[in-house]
Amino acid sequence: MMSLPFLLFACGLAAGWTQRRGAAMGFWAAGVVVMLVLFKMQATDALNISL
Amino acid sequence: MSPDQSKFLNALGLIAIDTVLVLAFVDQLWFRELPCPLCILSRAGFIAAGFGIALNLLFGPRPGHYGMTLLGASIGAVVSIRQILLHIVPDTGSYGSPILGLHLYTWALMFFGLMVVGTGIMLFFERQFAPTQVQAPEKLPLLSVIGLVTFFALAAGNVVSTLSICGFGLCPHDPTGYLIFNDNLSVTSLGHPS
Repeated sequence: MMSLPFLLFACGLAAGWTQRRGAAMGFWAAGVVVMLVLFKMQATDALNISL
Repeated sequence: MSPDQSKFLNALGLIAIDTVLVLAFVDQLWFRELPCPLCILSRAGFIAAGFGIALNLLFGPRPGHYGMTLLGASIGAVVSIRQILLHIVPDTGSYGSPILGLHLYTWALMFFGLMVVGTGIMLFFERQFAPTQVQAPEKLPLLSVIGLVTFFALAAGNVVSTLSICGFGLCPHDPTGYLIFNDNLSVTSLGHPS
């Protein structure tokens, strides 16, 4: 699952290389969303600091 | 700044990001320090940020591409800050060995900051956004091609690397080996008790 952002970015780069800008940006946006979801799933522990 | 000058600077920027990602692989493969989940997300942040630069090379400089770089670098910076805060209290440990006195996640935050500043400066030069003919990738300057091909290889390499370390599930918090090369993969991917 954590390889998914890289896969989406790689697909986006391949789309860009073949001159499909819209598809490239779509893959990038999907990769960023997956990154944010994975970060939310990883950052579960409360930080041991006083803010 | 002309579009060509902008593309040259973008190519240098992409090669700089390539270098950071190559060094991460050197640390992983040569020094055998496996990336933690947040380290992997930092790598994804570098690729998300570099993606905008890659599009600048492929389609010409556009403000939207710089926006992608800013967003990617910002998300990467948030990941690095989270990791720094996990270890910021003295005697709460760290992850990995320091390089030149700083841990990789601290270096990563500095690079993400540099990317934000560099992108902000680039956005001041509006002549680069003059409409230009989109060049076929094979007709791009050699520096751009090297940056782009290496960048794609590193994105694909991270797919393989992350799959090897984490399997098809979430990564272990403190990885000790490559899951894909031992029997734990079935435990991870299928959720069967051992």
